[in-house]
Amino acid sequence: MAQVAIKKRKGILGALAFVAVVIGLFWSLVIAPPDAYQGDVQRIMYLHLPSILTAYLSYFLVFIGSGMYLWKREKRDDLLAHSAAEIGVLFTALTIIEGSIWGRPTWGVWWTWDARLTLTAILLLIYVGYLMLRSLIEDENRAASAAAVLGIIGFLDIPLIHMSVYWWRTLHQPPSILRPDKAPWENVHPAMLTALAISFVGFLLLYFYLLSMRYRLGEMREEIRARRLDRGA
Amino acid sequence: MSAWGFVSLAYGIVWGSILVYLILLKRRYASTAADLDALRSTEATSSDAKK
Amino acid sequence: MALLRESYLLLWKDLLLELRQRDSLLTMFFFGTLLLFVFHFSFDPAPEKVAEMAPALLWLAFLFTGTLGLAQLFQPERENHCLDALLLSPVDRGALFLAKSCFNLVLMIVVEIVVIPLFWILFNLRSWNLLPQLFLVTLLGTIGFCVLGTIASAITLRARARELLLPLVLFPLMIPVILATIRCMENVLRTGEFGDAIPWLRLLLSFDVIFLTVGVLIFDRVIEN
Repeated sequence: MAQVAIKKRKGILGALAFVAVVIGLFWSLVIAPPDAYQGDVQRIMYLHLPSILTAYLSYFLVFIGSGMYLWKREKRDDLLAHSAAEIGVLFTALTIIEGSIWGRPTWGVWWTWDARLTLTAILLLIYVGYLMLRSLIEDENRAASAAAVLGIIGFLDIPLIHMSVYWWRTLHQPPSILRPDKAPWENVHPAMLTALAISFVGFLLLYFYLLSMRYRLGEMREEIRARRLDRGA
Repeated sequence: MSAWGFVSLAYGIVWGSILVYLILLKRRYASTAADLDALRSTEATSSDAKK
Repeated sequence: MALLRESYLLLWKDLLLELRQRDSLLTMFFFGTLLLFVFHFSFDPAPEKVAEMAPALLWLAFLFTGTLGLAQLFQPERENHCLDALLLSPVDRGALFLAKSCFNLVLMIVVEIVVIPLFWILFNLRSWNLLPQLFLVTLLGTIGFCVLGTIASAITLRARARELLLPLVLFPLMIPVILATIRCMENVLRTGEFGDAIPWLRLLLSFDVIFLTVGVLIFDRVIEN
């Protein structure tokens, strides 16, 4: 019975995510007016900002899950960290691709060593390393502790990386005038803000839908492992 | 490429990849659930046999 | 205090082993020197450009030699189940962490004390008077590298292909240290003083303190039977 209820709740979450995403798409592609400076290209922002924020949320969850696992040693915390890391890597990679596509028309190049872009790329490297570390350790419990340590260190390192990369860019060259994520907020159209808000809600719902599914997948794998062990014993 | 070209490229790649991830995740989910069910049912029958 | 005493004993054990065999130190030293030659051949820098490139080249050399040392860091413990024995003894894991970090630090410092002057000779640099400042920056950076590197080395200890995995895990995390040391040294070489580079020094110092604390606190969760 409980399982049916969980399934139902997940179905509702998925449906809500779908609806929010569709409305968000409509709002950001049709209703929101083109940007005064950048024109229609600026619509990429409605993807870019929600996806990077979701990625950060993901890494925060990795941090929480890792800390809880090291403290309480409960498998579910490790599962949370692992699931969040996987989806976080997906959203970070997508953010970099969006940024690159946005950069071409606004900066004239696919890639520039802008502070934020660089930081995002480093985040991707750290958490890809996290996933590789997990996959390369055979023993489940050891993999979980090792990954938890990396999940904590990686998250604590983010502010330091942010500072260093930011100083590096600002000390060496003036910050670029057209920052994709620094729109001129003072004269922003209300429809733009609404589009951004709806897209963000859509991303969040979708994120939690994916996360719950990935988490349940891990739980089932864990149960299969336990049952096989039981039978072997 | 026009402005809309870049926009559709970005939206296409992002939603395409998320969709691919979702489909892969559903597949993994379905096959694992099937494995688990199979394991549960054989366990039930073997424990019946013991009785 | 007990923590420091235990770390000191553990460090002494590692140093004694190293003095008898000299595996890590010799390989690290020769690798560092080799890198200087390779860099010189591949960049063939004009004399007036050398000072600009020096910090980056030196730090690349230190990173690679340091990684070499880290890959070997827990080698004595891996052999003959010594790690299990060590974990059975009532030693604080934090002390083990401090000892291992210090051990790698000692190795790297020894290598750096030779490699930096050698760089000045090989690349015909004149600014010998700036070496003390550069050593200070290098010391702060190396502490950060060894502290985080010891944690990284410990978590990759039981992984397949751990020598390959170690730099993959460690280098992205080291980016604040790499940036800070190189920018700092550049500033010193250009202006002859720290001046604008003081914030970088603070960043290095906070990096060292943060990860030293984290390492001591969570190392018992990393290394387990």
